Formats: sequence, C-alpha cells, structure tokens
Amino acid sequence: MFKFFSSSNVYSLIQNLINFINSIFFLILIIGLTFALVLSPPDYIQGDSVRIMYVHVPAAWLGLACFSFITLLSILNFIFKIKNFYFINKSIAPIGLLFTCLAIITGSLWGQPTWGTWWAWDARLTSMFVLMLFYMFYILAFKLLNKEELIVKVSSIIAIIGSINLPIIKYSVEWWTTLHQPASIKIVGSSSIHSAMLLPLLAMLLVFLLYAALIFLMKYKTEIIRIKKKNIKRT
Amino acid sequence: MITDFIAMNGYGLYIWLSFGIVFISCAAVYLKAKKTLKKYENDFLDELQNLSVAEKNKALENSEVAQQIVAANSKIN
Repeated sequence: MFKFFSSSNVYSLIQNLINFINSIFFLILIIGLTFALVLSPPDYIQGDSVRIMYVHVPAAWLGLACFSFITLLSILNFIFKIKNFYFINKSIAPIGLLFTCLAIITGSLWGQPTWGTWWAWDARLTSMFVLMLFYMFYILAFKLLNKEELIVKVSSIIAIIGSINLPIIKYSVEWWTTLHQPASIKIVGSSSIHSAMLLPLLAMLLVFLLYAALIFLMKYKTEIIRIKKKNIKRT
Repeated sequence: MITDFIAMNGYGLYIWLSFGIVFISCAAVYLKAKKTLKKYENDFLDELQNLSVAEKNKALENSEVAQQIVAANSKIN
C-alpha cells in the first residue's frame, strides 16, 4: 500500500494522468462550448446574457473549492507535518487565484447588462474580492519567505484565517440584501435551474475540473523534479 | 445566421468577452506551467550531465524518478 505512494509511482501516475487529460480535454471542451453557446436556451428574463453563467459559476465554484482544500490540507499539515501537503497546496493556490479572478471578471461582465453596473460593493462581490486577496497573500508567502518551516506556518495561518470568509461567501446572498441572486443549485433540497441549463453547466464544470487537474498535475510534477534536482547528489 | 449567433441578441460583446478572457487566461497559465515544467526538466538533466559517471550512475540507480525523467527526455548520454 505504502509502496504505491512512492515518488516514482506517483511520478508515473502523474504522467499517465496528464496524457489521459490531454487526450480527452479538447473533445470535452468542444461538447461543453457547444452546449453553452449553441444548444442551451436563453433565459426568459436575462436573455442570452445568461450564457456567461457557464464560465462564471464553474470558475467561482472552483475558486471556493481550491481554498477549502488548501485550508483542509493546511490544518492537516499543521497537525501531522506531512510535507507533501505543502507541495500540493503550493500547486493548487495559483489555480484557485486564477479561477477567483475569472469569477470576478466574468461576474462584472454579466453584471453590466443585468444590473446596469460593472461592480457594487455588496456582500457577495466584496467577499469574493476578499477571497482573491487571501489567495494573493497566500501565494506571496511562498514567494517572499525563504525558510520552508516559516512558509508552512505563515501560509497555514493565512489559509485558516481566510477560511472564515468561505461561509460568508456562501451565505452572503441569504444574510444580506445583495444584487447577486441566491443560489439556484442546491446540494440539499430542490434546485431552481432547468435541466436544459443544468446540463451545459455541468459540462462546463467538467471542462474546468479537467483543466484544473491538468495544471495541478503539471505544477506538482514540477515540484517533484525541483526536489529531486536539489537532492540529486544525495540519492 | 452567423451574425445572429455572434450578436447574441445584443449581448455578444459581454458573452464573447467573458469566454475570450477565460480562454486566453487559461491558455496563458497552461503555457506558463508547461514552460516551467520543461525548464525544470532541462535543469535536472543538465545537473545530471554535470555529475561524474559514477555519481550519475548512482543517481540513476537510486532514483526511479530520475530514470523516468531521463527516459522521457532521452537527452542524457
């Protein structure tokens, strides 16, 4: 069992996964885009502008998911001192920042035709902006600090403090009166989105997930090589 | 028909700009990640080349990851 998780097995698994994702990615992308831009119907109020949802919502979900994952691994790393979690977090953080920025930008582009404004400092938008700042602080900790122990401590503290913002983002549309609409898709309870829109959304979510996995694997592979290079004379 | 598709009932600018920004940003991050990975692979191979034959053999013998990097790049003598 433990032999399976040796660095050589992990390395070849990463390479196989990268090859697999590369082989199916463009097919899934074309299917997702066809659903999102051609086959899905316009909204009865928002018209065709609703198509922005197919990039905005998966980006926002992944931005939140990445930070939740980083927080979980930071806590586990804080307790169990598992060095691999440090490298996983380092590889995930730029992906989370990218998706959070994209959610904010596409949200702004959706806001202009829908609300008549590019930006408003309401609860949902502000809390997403705060998430972006936490991602920036988190990545800066890796860039600016030198000692690995210090990086682990500082980045874990940033992640744990930043995680307080996650439920605020989720429930901001319920706790405060905001321009942003409440959630249409619920894990528990019935969703208010029609299946003709849900299917393209799930297809685009799959595209974003595959992309995130691909970038993560490439960055994690880079980290493995960096460590191996550092230890080359010791092996 | 194509004009209608591009116009998206007046929302074309917002929709294409959203999809375009996402596509360009994701492509840029992908290319950057790929370039960095390639750079580290090359640095690793250069480091391996600079070792003596005995050190190189020992490094390859003891590290399957090193063997895989070398095999994937087929750059080492």
